[in-house]
Amino acid sequence: MSIMFSKTILYFAFFFLTLVPYFSNAQVDYLIGHDIKKGEELYKANCTSCHKLGDEKKARLIGPGLNPEIFEEYTEEWLISWIKNSSALIESGDEQAIAIFEEYNQSVMTAFPTFSDDDVRDILAYIENPPVEEVSIVEVLDVEDVQKESINTQSLLLIALVLFSILGFLVFIKNSLKKASKIEETIFQGFKKWVLSNLVIVIIIAHLGVLCLIVLGWQSLSKIGISQNYQPAQPIEFSHKVHAGQQGIDCNYCHSSARKSKHSGIPSANVCMNCHANIVEGPKHGTKEIAKIYKAVGYDVDTRSYIEGYEEQPIKWVRIHNLPDLAYFNHSQHVVAGGLECQECHGAIEEMDEVYQKEKLTMGWCINCHRDSKIDLDNPYYHGYNDWIEKHKKADLTVENIGGLECGKCHY
Amino acid sequence: MKEQKKYFKSPYLKGNEDFLHKEFSDKLPVDHFLADQKENNYGTSRRDFLKFLGFSTAAAVLSSCESPIQKSVPYLNQPEEIIPGVANFYASTYYQENTFASILVKTREGRPISVSANKDYEKITSHSGGLNSRAYASVLSLYDSNRLKSPLKNNNEVSWDELDNEVIKSLNQISKTKNKIVYLSPTIISPSHKKILESFQKKYNNLEVVYYDPISKSAIIEANKSCFGESFIPTYNFDKAKVVVSFEADFLGDWLDASHGRKYSSRRNPGTNMSKHYQFESLLTLTGSNSDKRVPVNPDEQLKYLMYIFSKLSMTKQEVVIENLNHKAILDNICKELQENQGESLVISGSSDPQNQIIVNAINYLLDNYSKTIDYNNKSNLYSGVNSIFKRFLDDVEANKVGALIINDLNIIYNVPQLRDKLNNIKLKVQITDSKNETSKYMDFVCPKSHFLESWGDANPYTAIYAIQQPTINPLFNSRESEQILLKWSGYEESYYNYLKTFYKNMSFKKSWNKILHDGYCEIDYKRNDYIFSSKVAKDITKNYNPSQSNKNDTFLVLYSKISMGQGYQSNNPWLQELPDPVTKVTWDNYLTINPVHAKKLGLKNWHVSNGALNGDVVLIKMGEKSIKAPVYIQPGQKQNVLGLCFGYGRTEAGKVASGVGVNAFEIHDNFNLVQKNNFSITKVEGVEHEFACTQNSHTMMGRSIVKETTLNEYLKNPKSGNEDFKLESYKGKVSPSELNLYQEWEPSVHFWNMSIDLSKCHGCGACVIACHAENNVPVVGKEEVRKNRDMHWLRIDRYYSSDMTKDLAEEKGIGAIEMYKMMEEPASEENLEVVFQPVMCQHCNQAPCENVCPVAATTHSNEGLNQMTYNRCIGTRYCMNNCPYKVRRFNWFNYKDNDNFDFNMNDDLGKMVLNPDVTVRARGVMEKCSMCIQNIQKTKLDAKRERRKVRDGEVSIACETACDTGAIVFGDALDSNSRISKEKKHPRTYALLEELNTQPSVFYKTKVRNKNKINKNV
Repeated sequence: MSIMFSKTILYFAFFFLTLVPYFSNAQVDYLIGHDIKKGEELYKANCTSCHKLGDEKKARLIGPGLNPEIFEEYTEEWLISWIKNSSALIESGDEQAIAIFEEYNQSVMTAFPTFSDDDVRDILAYIENPPVEEVSIVEVLDVEDVQKESINTQSLLLIALVLFSILGFLVFIKNSLKKASKIEETIFQGFKKWVLSNLVIVIIIAHLGVLCLIVLGWQSLSKIGISQNYQPAQPIEFSHKVHAGQQGIDCNYCHSSARKSKHSGIPSANVCMNCHANIVEGPKHGTKEIAKIYKAVGYDVDTRSYIEGYEEQPIKWVRIHNLPDLAYFNHSQHVVAGGLECQECHGAIEEMDEVYQKEKLTMGWCINCHRDSKIDLDNPYYHGYNDWIEKHKKADLTVENIGGLECGKCHY
Repeated sequence: MKEQKKYFKSPYLKGNEDFLHKEFSDKLPVDHFLADQKENNYGTSRRDFLKFLGFSTAAAVLSSCESPIQKSVPYLNQPEEIIPGVANFYASTYYQENTFASILVKTREGRPISVSANKDYEKITSHSGGLNSRAYASVLSLYDSNRLKSPLKNNNEVSWDELDNEVIKSLNQISKTKNKIVYLSPTIISPSHKKILESFQKKYNNLEVVYYDPISKSAIIEANKSCFGESFIPTYNFDKAKVVVSFEADFLGDWLDASHGRKYSSRRNPGTNMSKHYQFESLLTLTGSNSDKRVPVNPDEQLKYLMYIFSKLSMTKQEVVIENLNHKAILDNICKELQENQGESLVISGSSDPQNQIIVNAINYLLDNYSKTIDYNNKSNLYSGVNSIFKRFLDDVEANKVGALIINDLNIIYNVPQLRDKLNNIKLKVQITDSKNETSKYMDFVCPKSHFLESWGDANPYTAIYAIQQPTINPLFNSRESEQILLKWSGYEESYYNYLKTFYKNMSFKKSWNKILHDGYCEIDYKRNDYIFSSKVAKDITKNYNPSQSNKNDTFLVLYSKISMGQGYQSNNPWLQELPDPVTKVTWDNYLTINPVHAKKLGLKNWHVSNGALNGDVVLIKMGEKSIKAPVYIQPGQKQNVLGLCFGYGRTEAGKVASGVGVNAFEIHDNFNLVQKNNFSITKVEGVEHEFACTQNSHTMMGRSIVKETTLNEYLKNPKSGNEDFKLESYKGKVSPSELNLYQEWEPSVHFWNMSIDLSKCHGCGACVIACHAENNVPVVGKEEVRKNRDMHWLRIDRYYSSDMTKDLAEEKGIGAIEMYKMMEEPASEENLEVVFQPVMCQHCNQAPCENVCPVAATTHSNEGLNQMTYNRCIGTRYCMNNCPYKVRRFNWFNYKDNDNFDFNMNDDLGKMVLNPDVTVRARGVMEKCSMCIQNIQKTKLDAKRERRKVRDGEVSIACETACDTGAIVFGDALDSNSRISKEKKHPRTYALLEELNTQPSVFYKTKVRNKNKINKNV
C-alpha cells in the first residue's frame, strides 16, 4: 500500500518536475499575484496610442515596441519609476533613462502619476504575456450583392405544401380511377362513403384548412417588401455596442447630420480616424477590423501617417433601413422638431453588435406614430394659433392635426 | 330643312372638315412605342402573349425572391461645408450671348441643380437685373451630353500637352510672318481676360482681337461715337421713365439687357406713377404685346416717325409727312407727353441703322433724358462688337492676311456661313468651345472650354459693377477656362484662379476678395461727367434726312431673336426648345411669321389636322444665291408685307436635341442687317406641309372674363373697375357663387398657402416655366407629343389676342349668337390687336373638382390649402384631368426617363444629374401637376420649427415666384395677417379665375391695367 502510495507520489513528482521548466519559462516573477486581465485593460486604455506589442524596432510607433525582452534590460523598480514619471527619472541623471530620451529625439513619455505600483506591475505582467497575435487579413470592403430575405423560406414552404397536397390529391384520384375501372367498390367509393357518413367532421376540417391557407397566405403577402429584423453583414464589423454602449459616444458625434439634414449621415472615414488614428486595436477583433479603415484611407499604422498618393477606397456599407424612394423622410424633422430619441425607431442600438432593423418601417407604422405623437406647442412656431389650439383642445393636438396623415407631406 | 351647324375650335380648322367624320383619322400611335419599328407586323400574337406572360411571371417570381442590396457609400473625407441632404448656395456670374446676370447656384452633394437670381444683387442701386429663361436653363447645358470631353486635333483626341505644344509652335512661326493672328470672340466683359489678352498680345505682337456679336448693337455704338465722341452703350433706367417710346426695340425680350423687365415693371403698378409705353413695331414682339399702345409700322417708316418727333420737339422746319392720320395723331400725342415729362421719358430704337440711333439720341438729348433715364456714365459693356471691324476681318481673311485664327466661344460657321469656304486660307485654326458645333470640323485644334458653372471668371458688365464667377463643380471633362488656355499659351504656368485672385487683390476695391467672392459682385463709384451732343451732328440730322421712297409693294424680312433661344448658343437645351415662344406659343421650331391678310394674298395657309395640331405651308426664301425653306406661321397683329424669322435654330451639329430643328436665319443675315428689304423673294413650296407643335391653339377668350382688364383712368376712378363681382341667378336672386355651395366648408389649420399673380406686371417671358422645370423635374416630351397636347409643363402661360367682336357690339348690330362666336374666334385686325398673358398653374382649389372624382384618393386636399397629388396612389384614370376646369393636370403617357424615344436629358446619366433629389421622377401612367413646390414649403416649415420661430413672410421659395423678375407672383401664408399675400388677397384688383365655378382657388389674379384712355372691352 505504502509502496503504491509512494509510487504515485513519485509519478506525480516526476510529472511535476518535467513541467517545471516550461512553467518557469513562461511565468517569471510577475505572473504570480498580478492580474494580466487588469493589465490588459490598463494597457489598452493608456498605452496603445504610443506603443505596440512586439519587437522594439519593428513595432515602434511613437515609443518602442514592447516585449518580454525589456525585463532583461531593465529592472522592475526602474520600469515602475519610468512609467510613473519618466522625466523625473531623466532629471535624476539615470543613465539608462537618458539613453532612451536621447534615442527618441528627446520626446518625453507621458507621465502616469495616478498608477499605483501594482497597476504598473499588472501592465508589465501583460507585456510579459502578450496575447497570441491574430493574423490580420484585410478583406475586400464589400459583401455579396444579393441577400435572401427571411420571408422567402416561409413562402416557399407554403407553396411546397400546396403543391404537395395538390399532387397527393391528383395521385389519389388517379389511383381511384384506376381501381374504379377494375373493382366495383373502389377506395374512392369507400372514401366517399366515409365522407358522407362523417360529413360534419369533413366540413369542419375543410373549413379549417381553407382558413389556414387564407391566413398563411395573407401573412406572407403582407410581409413582402418589409425587412424587419434585416441584419446584413457589413464590410467592417463595426459594433455599436462598443462605441455607443460601452464607450458612450453620443450618436450625433458620428451621425452628425441627423440634426441638420434628412439623412442621419454615415460618418466619413475621417470621423473614424479622429479616434482610430491612435486606437489601433479593438477589444473584439483586435486590429483586423480597424485595419480596414486604414486600408480605405491609406493610413500607415507603423509610422502613424497617411500614405501620400494613396488611392482611397470607399467603404461600401450595406444600407439597413430602406424607405422606398417615393417616401420623403427627414431625420432632423423627427430628432429636432419632434424631439425623438434615435432608439424610438432604431431600437436599443447601443446594445447591438450588428445592427438590424428593429421596426417594420411601413406606412402604417409611420401613421400610427403620427396619430399619437403630441406636437410641441411651446415651440414659438405654433404661437398665435390660439383659436385653432382651443378648438382642438390643447392636450389632444397631435401630428395628425398639422397634416401628419396627409399624403402630400411625405410623398412629393 | 335642318341645317347642320358646325362649330370650329379655331379659325384654321375651317375648310378642313374631315376631322368631323373621324375623330381618330390615324391609328392611335401606341405601336410605335411597343414594337420594333422596323417590322411591319406590329401585332402581338396569342403565342407571343403567352410567352410574355410566362416570362414576366417567371421574372416576377425570381425578382421577388431576392431583394437587391442597397449600398451606402459615405465620403472618406467629408468636405466641411457639405452636409448630405442639405443644399449649398454659391454666388456666381452668368454671361452668355451678351447677357449678364448675377446668379445664385444651388448645389446638392456637390452638383449644381439650379440657378436663380442673386437676391442681394437686386438690392443695389446702380444696376439690378434678373435672369431670363436662357439663364435659368443654363444649368442643364452643363450636363449636355454633346459637350467636348477632350481636346481635339483634326477631330482626333489629343492631350492638352500635345495641343499646347503644337499651338504654341505654330503661333511662334506665324508671329514671325507678316500675317495676323486674330483672336475672335464675342464681347469679353471679363477684365482679367482682357488683361491676359494684353500679355498674349505682348508675346505675339501681330495679334488682333476682334469682337463679333452675332446680333450686334453696332448702330448704337456708332451713333454714340458720332454724337458724343465716344463708342459706348449706355444703360437705360426704365424705372425712372414715365413715358417710354420704343421703335422696334424688344426690350422685354432680347434687346441689350435682361434687366430691363425688372426696371420697367417697377413702374407698372397701377396708380398715378404708372408709366406709359408706346411701341412702334413691325412684328408682334413680347414688348409690343405688353405695351399700352402698340402701333404696327413697317421698319422703313421708323426713320420718318422718329424724324417727325425730332422736328416737333426741336421745332425745326423740316417737313415730315405722315400719311396715316391715325398714327399722326398718336405721334402728336406722344410729343405732347414727352415734352410734359422731360427728363422722365425714354425713346429707344432697335434699328441697326446708325442714322436712326442718332435721331433717337438727339430726341433724348432734347428731352434732357441723359443721366436721368439714360445713364451714359454707367456704361453697358455687354456689346462691343462693331460691324465695320468685323467686316474688315472678313476682308483680311479674303485677302489672305490672317495666319492664325483663335475662335473663343463662338460658332462662327453657324453665325457667318459665308466664312465656311474662306477658312482654308488660314494656316492655324483653333476653336475654344464647350461643345462640338458646326465650326469644329473646320478647325485644326478644338479646345474644350469649361462650362461657366465649372469655371473661375469675372465680369465688368457695367461701369459700376464687378462680378466674380466661381466654379460650383469640378470640371466634368478634360476642359479648361479660356483664360487658362491663354495663360498657358502666353507662357504662364500659373493657374487662372491664382491669377484672378492676385488681379482682384490689386484692384483696391472696398470689398475684400473673399467678400466679393461671397457676394458675387462689387459695386464701385464711377466718374460722372456730362457729354455734350455734337452740334455738327445735330445740324446734320435734318440735312441727312432722306426717307427712302416707300412703295406699297415693299416687302421686308425682319430677323429677330426670341427670349428662349437667343443666338442659338444653348439650342441643344431641351428645356429651351420646349419652352413655347411667348407670343406664337410654338415650340421646337422657328418659322416665317406673316400677317393673315398678307398670307391670304400669297395663298399661304395654316390649318389644324384631325388631332387638333397645327400644320402650315412651307415657303422658299430666296436671297441672291442663298435660299432656305421655312414654314409659315400666320401671326395676327403683324404689319402687312413684313415677314419675321428668328435666329437660334437650324443647327446641324448641335447634338441630339437641336440638330435639324428649324432653319438658320443667319444664312440670310445679309450685311449683318436685321431688316432686309425687297432683296428676297418667297415662293410657296407645293406639296410640302410643316407640322407645328403649339401649346395653345385657340387664341381669344370668346367673350369670357378670363383675363380681366381695365384702363388706368377707370382704375383711378374705381379700383374695382373691370373686376366687378360676379353674380349668379338663383332662387335667392342674384348671389355670388360661393353662396350656392354644394361642398362642405373647408378651413385651414396652421398655414394657408396662397398665390397672387399680377397680370399688370407679368410680361409672359417664360422664365418661371424654366425655373419650374428645374425645380420639379418636369420631363421634356418632344415635338411629336407637344403636337398631341401632351406637354408636361406644370406652369403654362396663356396668351390671348383681342377680338374685334364683343357681346355688346353684337347686340348693338343685331348679330346672332352663332355668328358672334364665330367672329369672336378671329383675332382683331392688325391695328387694334392687343395681347394679354396669363400664367396658369394648378389653382389649388379649396373646393376642387379633381379631388371628388379620383376613385383612389390619389389627389387630396391638405390642411394648408394645397391640392396634393400622390403619384404612388394614382392609377391613371385621368378623371381628374377631365374634371379640371383649368386644364393644368398633366398625364405621364410614357416613361420619359431612360426611354430612347424621348432622347433628352433624362435619357442619359449626365443629363440626369440636373434632377432635384427632393422631387420624385414620375413614372408612366400617373398624373402630375403643380405642387406649389411643396418640397420647399416643407423645408421652410421645418427650418422654422427647428429654429423655434415662425415662418417668415417670403421665406418659402417657390420656383416661379423666385424666378419672376418683375415681382408679378407673390406667394405666402394668408393666415399671417402681415404677409404680402394677405394684403394682395384683399386688393380690389384681385379675382379668382373662373369664379363662376366656385372652385375657391388658392391662386388668384390681379386685373390687368393698361395705361390708356379708352377701354377695349373685347380683349
